[in-house]
Amino acid sequence: MPSKNSDAIDLQLAARFAANRTSRRRFIGGGAAAAAAVAFGGSFLAACSSGNKSATGTTATQEGPASGTLRISNWPLYMADGFVADFQKASGLTVDYKEDFNDNEQWFAKVKEPLSRKQDIGADLAVPTQFMAARIHRLGWLNEISDSGVPNRKNLRQDLLDSKVDPGRKVTAPYMTGMVGLAYNKAATGRDIKTIDDLWDPALKGRVSLLSDTQDGLGMIMQSQGNSPENPTSEAVQKAVDLVREQKDKGQIRRFTGNDYADDLAAGNIAVAQAYSGDVVQLQADNPDLHFVIPESGGDWFIDTMVIPYTTQNQKAAEAWINYVYDRPNYAKLVAFTQYVPVLSDMTGELNKIDPKLGSNPLINPPQASIDKLKSWADLTDEQTQEFNTLYAAVTGG
Amino acid sequence: MAGAAASNRQRSKIAPYLMILPALAYLGVFFVVPFYSLARTSLSSMAGSVYLPTLTFNWDFGNYVDALSHYQDQIIRTFVYALAATVLCLLLAFPLAYVIAFKAGRYKNLILGLVILPFFVTFLIRTIAWKTILADDGWVVSALGAVGLLPSEGRLLSTSWAVIGGLTYNWIIFMILPLYVSLEKIDPRLIEASKDLYSSNRRSFTRVILPLSMPGVLAGSLLVFIPASGDFINADYLGSTQTTMIGNVIQKQFLVVKDYPAAAALSMVLMAIILVGVLLYTRALGTEDLV
Repeated sequence: MPSKNSDAIDLQLAARFAANRTSRRRFIGGGAAAAAAVAFGGSFLAACSSGNKSATGTTATQEGPASGTLRISNWPLYMADGFVADFQKASGLTVDYKEDFNDNEQWFAKVKEPLSRKQDIGADLAVPTQFMAARIHRLGWLNEISDSGVPNRKNLRQDLLDSKVDPGRKVTAPYMTGMVGLAYNKAATGRDIKTIDDLWDPALKGRVSLLSDTQDGLGMIMQSQGNSPENPTSEAVQKAVDLVREQKDKGQIRRFTGNDYADDLAAGNIAVAQAYSGDVVQLQADNPDLHFVIPESGGDWFIDTMVIPYTTQNQKAAEAWINYVYDRPNYAKLVAFTQYVPVLSDMTGELNKIDPKLGSNPLINPPQASIDKLKSWADLTDEQTQEFNTLYAAVTGG
Repeated sequence: MAGAAASNRQRSKIAPYLMILPALAYLGVFFVVPFYSLARTSLSSMAGSVYLPTLTFNWDFGNYVDALSHYQDQIIRTFVYALAATVLCLLLAFPLAYVIAFKAGRYKNLILGLVILPFFVTFLIRTIAWKTILADDGWVVSALGAVGLLPSEGRLLSTSWAVIGGLTYNWIIFMILPLYVSLEKIDPRLIEASKDLYSSNRRSFTRVILPLSMPGVLAGSLLVFIPASGDFINADYLGSTQTTMIGNVIQKQFLVVKDYPAAAALSMVLMAIILVGVLLYTRALGTEDLV
């Protein structure tokens, strides 16, 4: 047994910074949002939004410095204390900061009708995950982020600037990157979890949770079957879905979760969960038995990106915000809170200024061995996303 | 004189219609129009771009065939759960409503207040609270485990029992209140009369109280069964991958898969089955002379 090669990342250090905080994915409102979206969503009540005043089009060409109000829609608990206030002080802008972004697909279901008619969605800047940002960009619903507005864009990591999804990051500005792996409660499993096969251990029957998001849920399953999300085929996705279905029918999988796996894990209902790296740090503060591991066959990256919808009412302010976030000392404050992997290069020094142990935290600064095992999903076509969503939903939704 | 009387008569003819106008307008806007849209969507085909599809209305009954064949397990499960919850609500609510109506005396309003009190807390929070109560490591599970009463899964949370329990808990007030109202209306002298005629307690219950409370039983059953059938929050939070209800499927189809015709067809099927069930039930209880 390659016990030396354990990928369990010691989260103790990180946990210290995160005591009593909750990360953005550890949030319980998913169900409420779903309920509201079902009640008001779909295309049936689309007419309700037609009363909104139409956006006056892009204001990118507006002269002078940014002024007025900036409306930001971000994930819950994805922001450092005092950060927004500091930005307001520095910029003179008023920020209407809302934590109303709970789920990519549900957000899309909510905004697509108004956006398709170029009507205001109540936000000048939103933070969807990259695949969602790419989708709305393809639909023509994003404004470009100007070079003059965001000179700090040069601070971005080169690999993110070289992205195939958005070369040069002209429309999508990465906010945080993080790892999708496995979190487990060692008190419940009684052993270390290393591989996807460990999830199917009969001893863990009914105590495993998978993510209901297609990419985050299936990525590592596909890798355990020798396929890669970098080059996903229908067959590979189908094969992964079949495995999940088989295990679900056996009663192995307790729940398909969104953000709420964390609560079940903390409560001891779930022994092993597909999880986001930053979350586990927060949970470990209360429960040192929790560990985060990248499965031996591989895990995935996720990238959340700041985007400016073409209905924005304050393009300049949105750019000023992105530029402020991309300032290394400012960004270090955010990372110290969220515990995810920085999107800016050379952050170690700034992070160590906040806490000398932050820069060497393997979740914030993952070692090469971990990075080698992390894949990113290919930029899927709309048809592929739809196909894969349908395949996976047939298992998760029924 | 005669003219004024005539116009008065005319006005009194129109008045009832005027009075129902707001309700009619409300139903028209918030029921008829969405229902028409839903029915139309359920018979449409989706084409064009993935995310901005065009729905073409073409009597596509294939949506219904798919809905019924793919999701028959969830449909059956939904009605088993909803029925179980309704029966449980009735069994739990009847004695309580009876006590409030006949035995509570001056505590009547206090008890009624206590019944309503939990509903000041939002539905979602109350459901999530059950997760904590029923947690695998919680005292409820260990207590039941000690006396050997745990279901076969060895847990309570994420089982059918938890979902049915959640449905019962969340909707029981809609059973208690109608039952209370119909029991409260019973003239106690009728019960006394039955006693005077040497009827046993049991007989006066089955021959006097129960028949007279039937409107409450009927109303309560419908008020519990219908929302319980469409519920998805309880199955989502208290259930597992094996306990999904039709509401969960509809939610997923609308918001994730975005197959609107399939979701609409499922919604129509759900409504149709509820409607048939309700008709059979009201007929069986012979409500013509009750309501």
